[in-house]
Amino acid sequence: MSFEDAYTKLEGIVELLETGEMTLERSLALFEEGVALVRHCRCLLDTAEKRVEMILKEDEQITIKDFSVEDKGAASL
Amino acid sequence: MRWALHFGDCGGDLTLQIYQVSELTRIIKGILEEEPRLLGLAVEGELSNFKHHSSGHMYFSLKDQKSVVNCVMFARQNYGLDFTPQDGMHVVCLGQIGVYEKRGGYQLYVSQMLEAGEGALQRAFEELKEKLRKEGLFDAARKRSLPFMPQCVGVVTSPTGAAIRDIISVLTRRHPGIRIVLAPALVQGDGAPQSIVDALGTIDSWGAADVIIVGRGGGSLEELWAFNDERVARAIYSCSVPVVSAVGHETDFTIADFVADQRAPTPSAAAELVVPDHRQLMQRLKDISLRIQVIMDQRIQSRLEHVNSLSKRRALQLPQDQVNQRYQRLDELGRRLEMGQRQLKTATDHRLEKVAARLNSLSPLATLSRGYAICHDQTGAIIAKVAQMSDVDEFWIQFSDGKTKARKFS
Repeated sequence: MSFEDAYTKLEGIVELLETGEMTLERSLALFEEGVALVRHCRCLLDTAEKRVEMILKEDEQITIKDFSVEDKGAASL
Repeated sequence: MRWALHFGDCGGDLTLQIYQVSELTRIIKGILEEEPRLLGLAVEGELSNFKHHSSGHMYFSLKDQKSVVNCVMFARQNYGLDFTPQDGMHVVCLGQIGVYEKRGGYQLYVSQMLEAGEGALQRAFEELKEKLRKEGLFDAARKRSLPFMPQCVGVVTSPTGAAIRDIISVLTRRHPGIRIVLAPALVQGDGAPQSIVDALGTIDSWGAADVIIVGRGGGSLEELWAFNDERVARAIYSCSVPVVSAVGHETDFTIADFVADQRAPTPSAAAELVVPDHRQLMQRLKDISLRIQVIMDQRIQSRLEHVNSLSKRRALQLPQDQVNQRYQRLDELGRRLEMGQRQLKTATDHRLEKVAARLNSLSPLATLSRGYAICHDQTGAIIAKVAQMSDVDEFWIQFSDGKTKARKFS
Protein backbone atom coordinates (compact mmCIF):
# COMPACT_ATOMS: atom_id res chain seq x y z
CA MET A 1 0.00 0.00 0.00
CA SER A 2 1.40 3.42 -0.85
CA PHE A 3 2.19 5.90 1.89
CA GLU A 4 -0.58 8.18 0.75
CA ASP A 5 -3.19 5.42 0.80
CA ALA A 6 -2.08 4.12 4.18
CA TYR A 7 -2.09 7.60 5.64
CA THR A 8 -5.56 8.35 4.30
CA LYS A 9 -6.86 5.11 5.80
CA LEU A 10 -5.23 6.04 9.10
CA GLU A 11 -6.99 9.38 9.16
CA GLY A 12 -10.26 7.60 8.50
CA ILE A 13 -9.69 5.30 11.48
CA VAL A 14 -9.01 8.23 13.79
CA GLU A 15 -12.23 9.86 12.67
CA LEU A 16 -14.20 6.70 13.37
CA LEU A 17 -12.62 6.22 16.79
CA GLU A 18 -13.27 9.79 17.79
CA THR A 19 -16.85 10.06 16.70
CA GLY A 20 -18.19 6.54 16.30
CA GLU A 21 -20.49 4.74 18.64
CA MET A 22 -19.18 1.23 18.86
CA THR A 23 -18.34 -1.63 21.13
CA LEU A 24 -15.03 -1.71 22.87
CA GLU A 25 -14.02 -4.72 20.81
CA ARG A 26 -14.66 -2.93 17.58
CA SER A 27 -12.75 0.15 18.69
CA LEU A 28 -9.83 -1.99 19.73
CA ALA A 29 -9.86 -3.74 16.38
CA LEU A 30 -9.73 -0.35 14.67
CA PHE A 31 -6.96 0.72 16.98
CA GLU A 32 -4.90 -2.36 16.09
CA GLU A 33 -5.46 -1.71 12.41
CA GLY A 34 -4.24 1.85 13.01
CA VAL A 35 -1.13 0.55 14.71
CA ALA A 36 -0.40 -1.69 11.74
CA LEU A 37 -0.82 1.22 9.35
CA VAL A 38 1.51 3.45 11.37
CA ARG A 39 4.16 0.74 11.31
CA HIS A 40 3.71 0.30 7.57
CA CYS A 41 4.08 4.05 6.98
CA ARG A 42 7.19 4.16 9.11
CA CYS A 43 8.60 1.26 7.12
CA LEU A 44 7.99 3.12 3.87
CA LEU A 45 9.74 6.19 5.20
CA ASP A 46 12.73 4.13 6.20
CA THR A 47 13.42 2.63 2.77
CA ALA A 48 16.86 2.01 1.38
CA GLU A 49 19.83 4.29 1.06
CA LYS A 50 19.84 7.19 -1.36
CA ARG A 51 21.09 6.43 -4.82
CA VAL A 52 22.36 9.03 -7.26
CA GLU A 53 22.97 7.78 -10.78
CA MET A 54 23.48 9.03 -14.32
CA ILE A 55 21.79 7.63 -17.40
CA LEU A 56 23.38 7.71 -20.85
CA LYS A 57 22.23 6.51 -24.22
CA GLU A 58 24.82 5.48 -26.79
CA ASP A 59 23.66 3.93 -30.06
CA GLU A 60 20.29 2.86 -28.65
CA GLN A 61 22.08 1.34 -25.68
CA ILE A 62 21.11 2.68 -22.26
CA THR A 63 23.68 2.55 -19.47
CA ILE A 64 23.31 3.65 -15.87
CA LYS A 65 26.24 4.38 -13.64
CA ASP A 66 26.88 5.99 -10.29
CA PHE A 67 27.10 9.75 -10.29
CA SER A 68 28.72 12.15 -7.88
CA VAL A 69 28.68 15.91 -8.14
CA GLU A 70 32.46 16.07 -8.33
CA ASP A 71 32.41 13.79 -11.37
CA LYS A 72 34.00 16.14 -13.90
CA GLY A 73 34.40 13.28 -16.37
CA ALA A 74 30.74 13.66 -17.23
CA ALA A 75 31.38 17.14 -18.56
CA SER A 76 32.38 15.90 -22.00
CA LEU A 77 29.02 15.68 -23.70
CA MET B 1 22.37 85.19 -57.85
CA ARG B 2 20.93 88.54 -58.89
CA TRP B 3 22.75 91.22 -57.14
CA ALA B 4 25.01 91.84 -54.23
CA LEU B 5 24.39 94.11 -51.28
CA HIS B 6 27.15 96.41 -50.26
CA PHE B 7 27.56 97.59 -46.73
CA GLY B 8 30.08 100.28 -47.26
CA ASP B 9 29.18 102.37 -44.26
CA CYS B 10 29.89 99.75 -41.62
CA GLY B 11 33.60 100.14 -41.39
CA GLY B 12 34.54 97.57 -43.99
CA ASP B 13 33.46 96.10 -47.19
CA LEU B 14 30.95 93.33 -46.64
CA THR B 15 29.39 91.60 -49.59
CA LEU B 16 26.51 89.15 -49.02
CA GLN B 17 25.53 86.75 -51.74
CA ILE B 18 21.77 86.50 -52.02
CA TYR B 19 20.51 83.08 -53.03
CA GLN B 20 17.23 81.88 -54.28
CA VAL B 21 15.61 79.31 -52.02
CA SER B 22 16.04 76.54 -54.55
CA GLU B 23 19.72 77.43 -54.95
CA LEU B 24 20.16 77.17 -51.21
CA THR B 25 18.40 73.85 -51.13
CA ARG B 26 20.59 72.57 -53.93
CA ILE B 27 23.73 73.51 -51.99
CA ILE B 28 22.45 71.74 -48.91
CA LYS B 29 21.45 68.74 -51.00
CA GLY B 30 24.89 68.60 -52.52
CA ILE B 31 26.55 68.67 -49.12
CA LEU B 32 24.27 66.11 -47.51
CA GLU B 33 24.06 63.69 -50.37
CA GLU B 34 27.75 63.57 -50.99
CA GLU B 35 28.89 63.38 -47.39
CA PRO B 36 30.43 59.92 -47.12
CA ARG B 37 29.21 59.40 -43.56
CA LEU B 38 25.65 59.79 -44.67
CA LEU B 39 25.82 57.14 -47.39
CA GLY B 40 25.36 53.49 -46.51
CA LEU B 41 23.96 54.49 -43.12
CA ALA B 42 22.59 52.24 -40.41
CA VAL B 43 20.43 54.06 -37.91
CA GLU B 44 18.77 52.66 -34.82
CA GLY B 45 15.68 54.19 -33.26
CA GLU B 46 12.06 53.83 -32.27
CA LEU B 47 9.34 53.86 -34.90
CA SER B 48 6.66 56.53 -34.67
CA ASN B 49 3.99 58.04 -36.87
CA PHE B 50 4.12 54.98 -39.04
CA LYS B 51 1.89 55.08 -42.12
CA HIS B 52 1.65 52.45 -44.80
CA HIS B 53 0.14 54.18 -47.83
CA SER B 54 -2.12 52.49 -50.30
CA SER B 55 0.62 53.23 -52.80
CA GLY B 56 2.73 50.73 -50.89
CA HIS B 57 5.20 53.30 -49.65
CA MET B 58 5.92 53.55 -45.94
CA TYR B 59 6.36 56.90 -44.21
CA PHE B 60 7.51 57.11 -40.61
CA SER B 61 9.88 58.75 -38.15
CA LEU B 62 12.76 57.26 -36.26
CA LYS B 63 13.37 58.82 -32.91
CA ASP B 64 15.40 58.59 -29.76
CA GLN B 65 15.23 60.63 -26.55
CA LYS B 66 16.65 63.77 -28.12
CA SER B 67 15.93 63.81 -31.78
CA VAL B 68 13.92 62.54 -34.71
CA VAL B 69 14.46 61.91 -38.41
CA ASN B 70 11.77 61.51 -41.04
CA CYS B 71 11.98 58.38 -43.15
CA VAL B 72 10.51 56.85 -46.21
CA MET B 73 10.71 53.25 -47.35
CA PHE B 74 9.37 52.79 -50.85
CA ALA B 75 7.21 49.90 -51.88
CA ARG B 76 9.98 48.29 -53.87
CA GLN B 77 12.19 48.12 -50.79
CA ASN B 78 9.57 47.25 -48.20
CA TYR B 79 7.62 44.47 -49.89
CA GLY B 80 10.15 41.90 -48.70
CA LEU B 81 9.90 42.84 -45.00
CA ASP B 82 9.35 39.77 -42.84
CA PHE B 83 7.58 41.64 -40.07
CA THR B 84 4.95 44.35 -39.70
CA PRO B 85 6.44 47.60 -38.48
CA GLN B 86 4.51 49.27 -35.71
CA ASP B 87 4.87 52.42 -33.66
CA GLY B 88 7.02 51.82 -30.64
CA MET B 89 9.16 49.08 -32.19
CA HIS B 90 12.92 49.40 -32.01
CA VAL B 91 14.46 48.93 -35.43
CA VAL B 92 17.65 49.40 -37.39
CA CYS B 93 17.23 51.11 -40.77
CA LEU B 94 19.79 50.94 -43.57
CA GLY B 95 19.78 53.61 -46.22
CA GLN B 96 20.98 57.09 -47.06
CA ILE B 97 20.13 60.70 -46.45
CA GLY B 98 18.42 62.62 -49.21
CA VAL B 99 17.11 66.11 -49.39
CA TYR B 100 13.52 66.41 -50.45
CA GLU B 101 13.69 69.72 -52.25
CA LYS B 102 10.01 70.35 -52.53
CA ARG B 103 9.55 70.46 -48.76
CA GLY B 104 13.01 71.67 -47.87
CA GLY B 105 13.76 68.86 -45.52
CA TYR B 106 16.07 65.93 -45.31
CA GLN B 107 14.93 62.35 -45.03
CA LEU B 108 16.32 58.94 -44.50
CA TYR B 109 15.58 56.83 -47.56
CA VAL B 110 15.38 53.34 -46.10
CA SER B 111 16.42 50.35 -48.19
CA GLN B 112 16.29 47.73 -45.43
CA MET B 113 14.67 47.56 -42.00
CA LEU B 114 15.50 45.08 -39.25
CA GLU B 115 14.20 44.59 -35.77
CA ALA B 116 16.75 45.61 -33.16
CA GLY B 117 18.13 42.83 -30.94
CA GLU B 118 15.78 42.00 -28.12
CA GLY B 119 12.76 43.12 -30.03
CA ALA B 120 13.16 40.28 -32.50
CA LEU B 121 13.71 37.70 -29.78
CA GLN B 122 10.70 38.92 -27.87
CA ARG B 123 8.47 38.77 -30.92
CA ALA B 124 9.59 35.25 -31.79
CA PHE B 125 8.85 34.23 -28.20
CA GLU B 126 5.34 35.70 -28.29
CA GLU B 127 4.56 34.06 -31.62
CA LEU B 128 5.69 30.62 -30.52
CA LYS B 129 3.87 30.98 -27.24
CA GLU B 130 0.65 31.82 -29.06
CA LYS B 131 1.10 28.99 -31.55
CA LEU B 132 1.63 26.35 -28.88
CA ARG B 133 -1.15 27.72 -26.74
CA LYS B 134 -3.55 27.37 -29.63
CA GLU B 135 -2.45 23.78 -30.09
CA GLY B 136 -3.36 23.11 -26.47
CA LEU B 137 0.11 22.41 -25.09
CA PHE B 138 -0.49 24.73 -22.13
CA ASP B 139 -3.99 23.49 -21.26
CA ALA B 140 -4.61 23.26 -17.52
CA ALA B 141 -6.80 20.21 -18.04
CA ARG B 142 -3.96 18.08 -19.30
CA LYS B 143 -1.53 19.00 -16.54
CA ARG B 144 -0.81 15.91 -14.49
CA SER B 145 -0.55 15.99 -10.73
CA LEU B 146 2.77 15.05 -9.17
CA PRO B 147 3.02 11.67 -7.38
CA PHE B 148 2.89 12.09 -3.60
CA MET B 149 5.96 10.03 -2.83
CA PRO B 150 8.03 9.18 -5.92
CA GLN B 151 10.57 6.38 -5.56
CA CYS B 152 12.71 7.67 -8.42
CA VAL B 153 13.18 11.24 -9.58
CA GLY B 154 14.60 11.87 -13.07
CA VAL B 155 16.58 15.05 -13.62
CA VAL B 156 17.51 16.65 -16.95
CA THR B 157 20.19 19.29 -16.47
CA SER B 158 23.90 19.91 -16.73
CA PRO B 159 26.05 17.37 -14.81
CA THR B 160 28.28 20.23 -13.64
CA GLY B 161 26.86 23.37 -12.13
CA ALA B 162 24.79 24.33 -9.16
CA ALA B 163 21.43 23.01 -10.33
CA ILE B 164 22.11 19.28 -9.97
CA ARG B 165 24.00 19.86 -6.72
CA ASP B 166 21.09 21.75 -5.20
CA ILE B 167 18.53 19.22 -6.42
CA ILE B 168 20.45 16.28 -4.95
CA SER B 169 20.95 18.13 -1.68
CA VAL B 170 17.30 19.10 -1.21
CA LEU B 171 15.89 15.74 -2.35
CA THR B 172 18.08 13.66 -0.04
CA ARG B 173 17.45 15.95 2.89
CA ARG B 174 13.71 15.60 2.50
CA HIS B 175 13.62 11.92 1.61
CA PRO B 176 16.81 10.03 2.47
CA GLY B 177 15.75 6.90 0.57
CA ILE B 178 15.17 8.61 -2.77
CA ARG B 179 16.65 7.41 -6.05
CA ILE B 180 17.88 10.19 -8.31
CA VAL B 181 18.75 9.58 -11.95
CA LEU B 182 20.40 12.33 -13.97
CA ALA B 183 20.17 12.48 -17.75
CA PRO B 184 22.92 14.99 -18.56
CA ALA B 185 22.32 17.74 -21.12
CA LEU B 186 23.74 21.00 -22.39
CA VAL B 187 21.67 23.83 -20.96
CA GLN B 188 22.85 26.74 -23.08
CA GLY B 189 24.19 27.37 -26.55
CA ASP B 190 23.13 26.15 -29.96
CA GLY B 191 23.37 22.49 -29.10
CA ALA B 192 21.26 22.80 -25.96
CA PRO B 193 17.73 22.31 -27.30
CA GLN B 194 18.54 19.05 -29.07
CA SER B 195 20.59 17.89 -26.10
CA ILE B 196 17.68 18.52 -23.73
CA VAL B 197 15.27 16.77 -26.08
CA ASP B 198 17.55 13.72 -26.28
CA ALA B 199 18.00 13.56 -22.51
CA LEU B 200 14.25 13.78 -21.93
CA GLY B 201 13.75 11.02 -24.47
CA THR B 202 16.34 8.79 -22.83
CA ILE B 203 14.91 9.07 -19.34
CA ASP B 204 11.33 8.76 -20.52
CA SER B 205 11.96 5.67 -22.61
CA TRP B 206 13.89 4.10 -19.70
CA GLY B 207 10.61 4.40 -17.85
CA ALA B 208 11.51 4.02 -14.17
CA ALA B 209 11.32 7.65 -13.14
CA ASP B 210 8.08 8.66 -11.42
CA VAL B 211 8.59 12.35 -12.09
CA ILE B 212 11.10 14.45 -14.05
CA ILE B 213 12.72 17.79 -13.23
CA VAL B 214 14.12 19.69 -16.21
CA GLY B 215 16.00 22.92 -15.80
CA ARG B 216 19.13 24.87 -14.98
CA GLY B 217 20.47 27.56 -12.69
CA GLY B 218 19.93 31.27 -13.23
CA GLY B 219 21.30 33.16 -16.20
CA SER B 220 20.72 35.86 -18.78
CA LEU B 221 17.92 35.81 -21.33
CA GLU B 222 20.27 34.41 -23.97
CA GLU B 223 21.52 31.70 -21.64
CA LEU B 224 18.00 30.51 -20.82
CA TRP B 225 16.90 30.64 -24.44
CA ALA B 226 17.11 26.90 -25.04
CA PHE B 227 14.05 26.52 -22.79
CA ASN B 228 12.05 28.67 -25.22
CA ASP B 229 12.76 26.27 -28.05
CA GLU B 230 9.80 24.60 -29.74
CA ARG B 231 11.49 21.19 -29.76
CA VAL B 232 12.02 21.32 -25.99
CA ALA B 233 8.39 22.32 -25.44
CA ARG B 234 7.10 19.40 -27.50
CA ALA B 235 9.46 16.95 -25.81
CA ILE B 236 8.20 18.03 -22.38
CA TYR B 237 4.61 17.72 -23.55
CA SER B 238 5.07 14.20 -24.79
CA CYS B 239 6.74 12.87 -21.63
CA SER B 240 4.79 10.01 -20.11
CA VAL B 241 5.35 11.15 -16.52
CA PRO B 242 4.77 14.57 -14.92
CA VAL B 243 7.47 17.16 -15.61
CA VAL B 244 8.50 20.04 -13.37
CA SER B 245 10.32 22.92 -15.05
CA ALA B 246 13.00 24.70 -13.07
CA VAL B 247 14.65 27.32 -15.20
CA GLY B 248 16.31 29.36 -12.45
CA HIS B 249 14.48 32.62 -12.95
CA GLU B 250 12.27 34.14 -10.30
CA THR B 251 9.91 36.16 -12.44
CA ASP B 252 10.27 35.36 -16.13
CA PHE B 253 8.54 32.35 -17.60
CA THR B 254 10.05 30.36 -20.43
CA ILE B 255 7.95 28.32 -22.83
CA ALA B 256 9.10 25.20 -21.01
CA ASP B 257 7.46 26.65 -17.88
CA PHE B 258 4.13 26.94 -19.66
CA VAL B 259 4.18 23.40 -21.03
CA ALA B 260 5.41 21.68 -17.88
CA ASP B 261 2.95 20.11 -15.45
CA GLN B 262 4.35 22.34 -12.70
CA ARG B 263 6.74 25.25 -12.72
CA ALA B 264 9.32 26.03 -10.06
CA PRO B 265 11.38 29.24 -9.95
CA THR B 266 14.59 27.40 -9.09
CA PRO B 267 16.00 23.86 -9.09
CA SER B 268 15.86 23.74 -5.26
CA ALA B 269 12.21 24.77 -5.29
CA ALA B 270 11.50 22.01 -7.81
CA ALA B 271 13.07 19.43 -5.50
CA GLU B 272 10.83 20.61 -2.68
CA LEU B 273 7.74 20.30 -4.87
CA VAL B 274 8.54 16.82 -5.96
CA VAL B 275 9.05 15.02 -2.66
CA PRO B 276 7.44 15.40 0.79
CA ASP B 277 9.60 16.12 3.81
CA HIS B 278 9.95 12.86 5.74
CA ARG B 279 10.35 14.67 9.06
CA GLN B 280 6.99 16.33 8.61
CA LEU B 281 5.45 12.99 7.75
CA MET B 282 7.01 11.39 10.86
CA GLN B 283 5.56 14.14 12.99
CA ARG B 284 2.11 13.61 11.52
CA LEU B 285 2.39 9.88 12.24
CA LYS B 286 3.32 10.64 15.84
CA ASP B 287 0.38 12.99 16.23
CA ILE B 288 -2.03 10.40 14.91
CA SER B 289 -0.55 7.69 17.14
CA LEU B 290 -1.01 9.90 20.15
CA ARG B 291 -4.58 10.63 19.27
CA ILE B 292 -5.62 7.01 18.87
CA GLN B 293 -3.90 6.06 22.10
CA VAL B 294 -5.70 8.78 23.99
CA ILE B 295 -9.03 7.76 22.54
CA MET B 296 -8.48 4.12 23.46
CA ASP B 297 -7.37 4.99 26.98
CA GLN B 298 -10.53 6.99 27.48
CA ARG B 299 -12.75 4.27 26.13
CA ILE B 300 -11.27 1.57 28.31
CA GLN B 301 -11.28 3.85 31.31
CA SER B 302 -14.93 4.68 30.92
CA ARG B 303 -15.78 0.99 30.41
CA LEU B 304 -13.89 0.15 33.57
CA GLU B 305 -15.82 2.74 35.53
CA HIS B 306 -19.03 1.41 34.10
CA VAL B 307 -18.26 -2.14 35.17
CA ASN B 308 -17.18 -0.91 38.59
CA SER B 309 -20.39 1.00 39.16
CA LEU B 310 -22.43 -1.94 37.97
CA SER B 311 -20.78 -4.26 40.42
CA LYS B 312 -21.52 -1.84 43.26
CA ARG B 313 -25.25 -1.41 42.75
CA ARG B 314 -27.09 -3.64 45.17
CA ALA B 315 -30.21 -3.91 43.13
CA LEU B 316 -28.34 -5.18 40.18
CA GLN B 317 -25.87 -7.39 41.94
CA LEU B 318 -24.49 -9.44 39.18
CA PRO B 319 -23.31 -12.90 40.04
CA GLN B 320 -19.66 -12.64 40.94
CA ASP B 321 -18.93 -14.92 38.03
CA GLN B 322 -20.25 -12.47 35.49
CA VAL B 323 -18.43 -9.56 37.10
CA ASN B 324 -15.20 -11.51 37.03
CA GLN B 325 -15.70 -12.29 33.39
CA ARG B 326 -16.13 -8.63 32.57
CA TYR B 327 -12.96 -7.68 34.45
CA GLN B 328 -11.11 -10.41 32.69
CA ARG B 329 -12.23 -9.24 29.32
CA LEU B 330 -11.15 -5.74 30.19
CA ASP B 331 -7.75 -7.08 31.19
CA GLU B 332 -7.38 -8.75 27.84
CA LEU B 333 -8.44 -5.65 25.99
CA GLY B 334 -6.06 -3.69 28.16
CA ARG B 335 -3.23 -6.01 27.23
CA ARG B 336 -3.94 -5.62 23.54
CA LEU B 337 -4.00 -1.89 24.05
CA GLU B 338 -0.69 -1.95 25.84
CA MET B 339 0.91 -4.05 23.13
CA GLY B 340 -0.37 -1.70 20.48
CA GLN B 341 1.01 1.25 22.42
CA ARG B 342 4.43 -0.37 22.67
CA GLN B 343 4.47 -1.03 18.95
CA LEU B 344 3.44 2.54 18.28
CA LYS B 345 6.25 3.79 20.44
CA THR B 346 8.90 1.89 18.48
CA ALA B 347 7.31 2.88 15.19
CA THR B 348 7.31 6.56 15.98
CA ASP B 349 10.56 6.79 17.88
CA HIS B 350 12.69 9.15 15.94
CA ARG B 351 16.34 8.30 15.56
CA LEU B 352 17.26 11.83 16.52
CA GLU B 353 15.55 11.56 19.87
CA LYS B 354 17.84 8.72 20.87
CA VAL B 355 20.94 10.65 19.84
CA ALA B 356 19.66 13.73 21.63
CA ALA B 357 19.18 11.69 24.78
CA ARG B 358 22.76 10.44 24.61
CA LEU B 359 24.10 13.95 24.06
CA ASN B 360 22.12 15.14 26.99
CA SER B 361 23.67 12.58 29.29
CA LEU B 362 27.09 13.86 28.36
CA SER B 363 26.41 17.48 29.23
CA PRO B 364 28.00 19.03 32.34
CA LEU B 365 24.62 19.44 34.02
CA ALA B 366 23.97 15.75 33.67
CA THR B 367 27.38 15.09 35.21
CA LEU B 368 26.51 17.26 38.18
CA SER B 369 23.29 15.40 38.68
CA ARG B 370 25.28 12.20 39.00
CA GLY B 371 26.97 13.60 42.12
CA TYR B 372 30.04 15.40 40.82
CA ALA B 373 30.73 18.97 41.88
CA ILE B 374 32.55 21.85 40.23
CA CYS B 375 34.81 24.19 42.21
CA HIS B 376 35.48 27.73 41.13
CA ASP B 377 37.01 30.86 42.60
CA GLN B 378 35.58 34.37 43.20
CA THR B 379 35.95 35.26 39.56
CA GLY B 380 34.24 32.16 38.31
CA ALA B 381 37.41 30.52 37.02
CA ILE B 382 37.22 26.75 37.44
CA ILE B 383 39.55 25.09 39.92
CA ALA B 384 40.39 21.73 38.49
CA LYS B 385 43.62 20.89 40.28
CA VAL B 386 44.87 20.85 43.83
CA ALA B 387 47.82 22.96 42.67
CA GLN B 388 45.42 25.83 41.88
CA MET B 389 44.33 25.90 45.51
CA SER B 390 47.61 27.32 46.79
CA ASP B 391 46.60 30.98 46.45
CA VAL B 392 42.98 30.32 47.17
CA ASP B 393 41.39 30.77 50.56
CA GLU B 394 37.69 31.07 49.93
CA PHE B 395 36.03 29.38 46.97
CA TRP B 396 32.67 28.16 45.66
CA ILE B 397 31.38 24.64 45.18
CA GLN B 398 28.73 24.17 42.46
CA PHE B 399 26.30 21.29 42.96
CA SER B 400 23.47 20.25 40.64
CA ASP B 401 20.99 22.23 42.71
CA GLY B 402 23.02 25.33 43.58
CA LYS B 403 26.31 26.49 45.03
CA THR B 404 27.81 27.11 48.39
CA LYS B 405 30.83 29.03 49.73
CA ALA B 406 33.65 27.08 51.26
CA ARG B 407 36.95 27.75 52.98
CA LYS B 408 40.11 25.78 52.68
CA PHE B 409 41.67 24.18 55.69
CA SER B 410 45.13 25.62 55.79
